[in-house]
Amino acid sequence: MSNANGPDGTDAENGEPDESTPVRVAGRAMGTDDTYVESQVIMTTVRVVAPFAFTYGLFLTFHGGGSPGGGFQGGAVIGTTVLMIAFAFGIGPTRDWLSNRVVVGLASGGVLAFALIGLIPLLVDGRFLEHAVFSDEFDLYHGKKYALEGVEIVGIAPIVAAIVIGLFFAIAAGFTGEVDAWHPAGPEGPPGTETTPGTGAGDQSGGSDAETGSDHDVATGGEQS
Amino acid sequence: MTPGAIELALFGFVLVTALATAAFKDVLAAIIVFAAYSLGMAIYYAVLLAPDVAMTEAAIGAGVTTLLLLLTIAKTVRPGRDRLLEEIHLPGLLVVGAFTTAILVTVTSFPAIGSPDAPIISHPEVSQYYLEEAYHDTGVENVVTAVLAGYRGFDTFGEAVVVFAAGVASLVVLHSEVFTRE
Repeated sequence: MSNANGPDGTDAENGEPDESTPVRVAGRAMGTDDTYVESQVIMTTVRVVAPFAFTYGLFLTFHGGGSPGGGFQGGAVIGTTVLMIAFAFGIGPTRDWLSNRVVVGLASGGVLAFALIGLIPLLVDGRFLEHAVFSDEFDLYHGKKYALEGVEIVGIAPIVAAIVIGLFFAIAAGFTGEVDAWHPAGPEGPPGTETTPGTGAGDQSGGSDAETGSDHDVATGGEQS
Repeated sequence: MTPGAIELALFGFVLVTALATAAFKDVLAAIIVFAAYSLGMAIYYAVLLAPDVAMTEAAIGAGVTTLLLLLTIAKTVRPGRDRLLEEIHLPGLLVVGAFTTAILVTVTSFPAIGSPDAPIISHPEVSQYYLEEAYHDTGVENVVTAVLAGYRGFDTFGEAVVVFAAGVASLVVLHSEVFTRE
């Protein structure tokens, strides 16, 4: 917590270019600065619990028509599972594993799918979201039920899950992006944050940018990464 | 319905944790107690036979909100913990007290849970219609889902879009790297 000062507090002290570059890369791959502590207990627990929580989320989503639950609850549980994984294994790796395109695509795709399912009845002179059309006009077995559950499964659940995950990543972005990029953990960083193996040398431009005022550091940091 | 031991214990737990959330000076302590409050509320909802709400409260209230708040205070500087409790701000206490009194006055005009005078029992036309016709109309057994996604599908569509729009707006305001990475 001690080095989590404002974005421009510690630049002057340890903003040397060749120091910041490797640490920056390590921090980005590791995902966090001082907020992440690699814990065997948490990692093992999450490894065991996450599949069940994820399955429970899917169950709530898919079985919302027959038992308590539904798209919103299921999506929230699915999103929480990803948060749990990020908590245990680091936010950065989780974000790299689950690319931003997936998150944004889930949210937008959910809205589009919801709207599409609602628009289909208009083709046969039905009304918007009139699920009964699927049974009556298209002669689908249990059509209205599957239309309603389709709205829950491909509409509401992905939206809620993606927004939960996206908000989490957005709030955590300070650790993995700007803070790590321009505030090398330095001597006061806790052990474990700089031990990432195998991420090669970063771009040298990142280090030189760290010297130029802190105002557009954030902006350039965003573009580079 | 006279409250049983479980209800009373849960109510006491929720009340104490809610007050502790307001009283603790340390933000981290307040967040942890707030998570306990959410968990208590989730169990309370389940006891009151509202499992849908209980799931949402457990996942969103106790889980996601706590994590987001923890992340937020990790990015900020915590003030020194020279004392355990927040000092009481008298004008604030008056305003909150007046607000609480106004809410409590309206609570007394609600019918008791399970009371035969409650509109849902004395005028069963609306609720009985949904209970009887929901499966025939929408094809799903869970009446809550039938109402939310079937009868009021357009309403739910609006809500889903609101969640989407609120999320996008938050991401834009936070000026997140989420969109600029890769």
